[in-house]
Amino acid sequence: MSVKPKSLWQKMWEPKDLQSMAPATKVLSYSILLFWTFIVLFPLYWLFVTSFKLPIQVSDGPYYIPFIDFEPSLHAWEYIFIDLGRDTLRPYMNSIIIASSSTVLAVFIGSMAAYALTRIEYKPKVGSIVGFIVILGLVVYLTVVVKMQWQLTLSIGFALFVSFVFAFSRYFKRSLGNNDILFWIISQRIMPPVVSVLPIYIMFQQLGLLDTHFALIVTYMAVNLPIAVWLMRDFFARIPVELEESAMLDGASRMRVFLTIYMPLAKPGLAATTMLILILSWNEYLLALFLSTADAQTMPLMVAAQNATRGPQWWYMSVLIVVMIVPVLIAAGFIGKMISKGQLSGAVKG
Amino acid sequence: MKFFNLNQRRPLSKLLTAITAATAVTLAAGASTAIAKKFDGVTVNVMTFTGPQIAEPLQRHAPAFKELTGATINIITVPYSDLYSKLLTDFVTGTNSVDAAVFAPQWLVDYADPGYLEDLSSRVAKDTALDAQDISPFFRSFSTQYQGKTYLLTLDGDFHMIYYRTDVLKAAGLKPPKTWDEYLAVAKAVHGKDMNGDGKADYGSCISKKRNAQAYWSIMSIAGGYLQGQGTGQGAFFDTKDMKPLVNNDAFAAALTIYKDTGKYAPADEINLDVGDTRGLFTSGRCALTLDWGDIGTLAIDPASSKVVDKVGASMLPGSTKILDRATGKLETCTTKTCPYAVDGINRAPYAAFGGWSGGVNATADEQVKNAAYDYFSYVSQPAQSNADVTKGITGFNPYRLSQFNDMDKWLAAGMSKGAAQNYLGAIKDSLSSPNMLLDLRIPKNQNYQGVVLDTAIARFLAGEINVNQTMETIEEGWNELNEDLGVEDQLRLYKATLGQ
Amino acid sequence: MQTHKMNVKRKRSFGEMLDQASPKLLILPTVLIILFLAIYPLLLSAYLALSRFKLVRGGFELKFVGFRNFKKLLFGSQEYHFLGTVGEILLWEWLLIVIVIAALCRWMFRYLRSAKVTVVGTLGRSVTLVVFSALTVLAFAVLNGTGYPGSLMITLFYVFAGVSIQFVIALGLALLCAQNIRGKNFFRMVFFIPIMVTPVGIAYAFRMLMDMSQGPFSPLWTLFGLGEFSWAADASMARWVVLIGDSWQWIPFLFMVLFAAIESQSKDQVEAAQLDGAGAWRIFKDITFPAIAPVAATAVLIRLIEAFKIIDLPNILTNGGPGIATESMTLHSFIAWRTQDLGGSAAVGYSLLFIAVVVCVSFFNFIGQKTQPKGA
Repeated sequence: MSVKPKSLWQKMWEPKDLQSMAPATKVLSYSILLFWTFIVLFPLYWLFVTSFKLPIQVSDGPYYIPFIDFEPSLHAWEYIFIDLGRDTLRPYMNSIIIASSSTVLAVFIGSMAAYALTRIEYKPKVGSIVGFIVILGLVVYLTVVVKMQWQLTLSIGFALFVSFVFAFSRYFKRSLGNNDILFWIISQRIMPPVVSVLPIYIMFQQLGLLDTHFALIVTYMAVNLPIAVWLMRDFFARIPVELEESAMLDGASRMRVFLTIYMPLAKPGLAATTMLILILSWNEYLLALFLSTADAQTMPLMVAAQNATRGPQWWYMSVLIVVMIVPVLIAAGFIGKMISKGQLSGAVKG
Repeated sequence: MKFFNLNQRRPLSKLLTAITAATAVTLAAGASTAIAKKFDGVTVNVMTFTGPQIAEPLQRHAPAFKELTGATINIITVPYSDLYSKLLTDFVTGTNSVDAAVFAPQWLVDYADPGYLEDLSSRVAKDTALDAQDISPFFRSFSTQYQGKTYLLTLDGDFHMIYYRTDVLKAAGLKPPKTWDEYLAVAKAVHGKDMNGDGKADYGSCISKKRNAQAYWSIMSIAGGYLQGQGTGQGAFFDTKDMKPLVNNDAFAAALTIYKDTGKYAPADEINLDVGDTRGLFTSGRCALTLDWGDIGTLAIDPASSKVVDKVGASMLPGSTKILDRATGKLETCTTKTCPYAVDGINRAPYAAFGGWSGGVNATADEQVKNAAYDYFSYVSQPAQSNADVTKGITGFNPYRLSQFNDMDKWLAAGMSKGAAQNYLGAIKDSLSSPNMLLDLRIPKNQNYQGVVLDTAIARFLAGEINVNQTMETIEEGWNELNEDLGVEDQLRLYKATLGQ
Repeated sequence: MQTHKMNVKRKRSFGEMLDQASPKLLILPTVLIILFLAIYPLLLSAYLALSRFKLVRGGFELKFVGFRNFKKLLFGSQEYHFLGTVGEILLWEWLLIVIVIAALCRWMFRYLRSAKVTVVGTLGRSVTLVVFSALTVLAFAVLNGTGYPGSLMITLFYVFAGVSIQFVIALGLALLCAQNIRGKNFFRMVFFIPIMVTPVGIAYAFRMLMDMSQGPFSPLWTLFGLGEFSWAADASMARWVVLIGDSWQWIPFLFMVLFAAIESQSKDQVEAAQLDGAGAWRIFKDITFPAIAPVAATAVLIRLIEAFKIIDLPNILTNGGPGIATESMTLHSFIAWRTQDLGGSAAVGYSLLFIAVVVCVSFFNFIGQKTQPKGA
């Protein structure tokens, strides 16, 4: 008698076959997934509704649903797109140009290094590295403290380094491996940007490149390179070495192997890396603040700027945040398609 | 020499303006042709912060100015929180991409002392259109000057006042507070009442207490009445004898206690509210009292943001019946000798917190650019332009000219009732004409003294990490350390210089 | 003809030269870029950390002050800010500390007795040992309720609590999504969205959401009788709120990487195990997890590095308050920098660099390496 309910209980947790889930597990899984969907989407929904609210509707809130518990207003959208007009579009275009170019560069250059670090063994000499750092320190010292011309100190430093390497490199025995290079690369991302922004500012100021797209593209490329190298390395490592070896036997050069075998096969990884770096450079704030003044200003500055002497202008801010997500979403959709295509072509070739 | 004090922005009259200006140029310069304007081909890059408060009027006046003089005014904006360091970086590294800037006069010393800013004294002296005598003496002679020279033109008048809900106080039979003890009493009496008709209990007092926001101004607004009795020149931050910080004494302890006690009649998360939040709360009718700059006056009459139209009163900062004896560190009852400016035995020191946005000119710019930049700031500050700007809610410009109090019409046109306008302007006038106005700290690295040492200690005090005495010791220690770092003698000399001593 | 042939030959040799140099050419751009845009700022700011920046007539002055900025952080007027206010350590807490340190020492001892001892390895492990022991003592001294943590401990809290919570949730979601469920692509796309939002925007969004009087959840708080309670006034609650925002932003990153790794592992082994009647937990432990471990390690390392730099959320949500309870090291450095205390700012930055490098190297060498398949 009492067996029946127990068996129902058991039934709930027992899958019909290996491919499908038990009913209870299914309910549980879906409710977790839906719950998380709510967590993810609610803040975005709130931003979206806020962009249609009048100031008084925000400070007197909460109001949840437009038309039902408050009368939506387009005032914030009008302010951002009509009153500010070109002042919104310019940073928008800047962001698109800067983020996309720096991403492409970072991913390509980073992939080259990642490929090299997975397949070629490097043995940089400890002595040369120490020598380099000492000489660079000297250059910085002479420029900053002794106030010599940077062009001069840099060329002296370079000359010193070259002669140093030629003169002493054969006495250096101890060398580092690929893992050390890798770690050195990633460690460059640990430094908080606050600390490195001033030297970078001075560098571009000396070159007369402040407030240009170029400065921001180069900087973003540099700060994101480590991530590109690291992520791509994992994806390249999974590609069987045999493919490369047979191609090399056929006489293909390294560059060709990299371009025609590795890059296409790693497309899913390439897409994921591109996406991540695109997002990071799209959203970067502090470096943009200093390297741009007017012409090259980017969107995150616009968002942050909505908090001024009158407190955060939630409605304007919400508009900007919402419109800032759009291009990234489009890019994500586009890149997502590339992933599935990449897998397909990869399968055909493999 | 100035010829463009006409305020006409309508298209039809633009032509007339242009002709008048051109004629004036011919008459003044004599030699030049009738068409050539004074600053043809000159472009001035003016930096300020993003947002309509300052950038909007600057942008709005630019076309008319170009019409008059031929100079193109190019407004560059950066986020408010980073304007200080952005400008400083530009000056320090010699980038000089900014020809002129509108910024907080508190930063003046950091920019003027190393010589980045142009001395405008002689220009101001020659400038009749500016009508400098109309500018309130506090801004004319303290706020814009450094070591006796004028480096800035005031575009905005900023100082703290308190605001109260006239309807709430009336219903409770209370008068606007004159001392901080009264402030607490009023807040206590009305706390928990429903003030906006939504059936929920509202708050007695809302004051910005957030860290890295305005807390370090709020505390000085309270402490001012206890610390400074002898007029602006006495100062309230350091003893002018030996640069001893005035933060470890009974006066400051009283202010700290009051500041914390206002939190009893406030929203639970007041410790995380900045002035934007308290403004939102006040204008949506949820607080009976608040401490703020002039902005609330115009925000409260804007129906898009306010539920308290015509229910707001303003008053000069409350004070104290006791004053600090600097020799003993104890509070003594005010006498005519210790508080010469006290009224009814109450010493009040309206605090010029922040000091009002002002324009300064980069010393390294070309002569013509400097002239054009100066003329533009003068143009925006002239009564014809500024008297209208200060009544507009969207601009962050608050009154600073005497004529702005006399002419009530613009305020009535902006939507204030006569009573409210009289009350609001009266409070501003009282504060500005007070000879005991408290000047903000203007010595080098003042951001470090206030924004870091004072602010962090206050934040830890409000959070309960440290008690009153520990707080005062921490601030004193921090300020002394900064004094020693920068040279006690130097700082003392500069501190006295800002006070006109 | 002759010349033509010559040309071909020359071209070829150039191509060969290029090919021979290709190992160097492939890595050279990365190395050069990082040298110029990362090493040079590093050296310059090292100098800044050892000096005092002062504005003087006609420009600025950098005065060399040695380790004064660091001394200030560790023993001087900024000690409370960086290390924290030290409270009392109770006896049982001392016991726990001793146990932790003993475990670290044992790990060190085992290494020393093993066959592969090297100078560098010993040195590295000693640093790890000392740093982790010191941090353990500090953690107890400032976090047990009698003291107040400084930016160092607060940052470590964000890093360790944040990254572990985010990893667990992301792994759970990735495993769920990898099941045979409908709408897989929908969930994958949606779960990825938060990372696209600009961090400044996320911080402001959470400030709106967490507002207990006007935020969307305020009726809920009132219902629970929390209307008069404020998370912002409570130090540890405020830290958790910051962490919630941080997690919302970063779980997608870990989710994305882990999901991709799970999807790309071979299904055969899993199916074979299922046929053998292995439970879900055993399959995960013995098959799935080892397969995704290398990718997971990389993802966690990247996440660790970014977590050390957390700034936008505390800066915008609480401005580092109440008191200094939510102030991370990057924010500490930023505030100092904003008030032209460039030396102090660089000193905090360098301390962060040091701690982060020790933690990341330890992770990389002692956990990351183990997850790598043999021979790779």
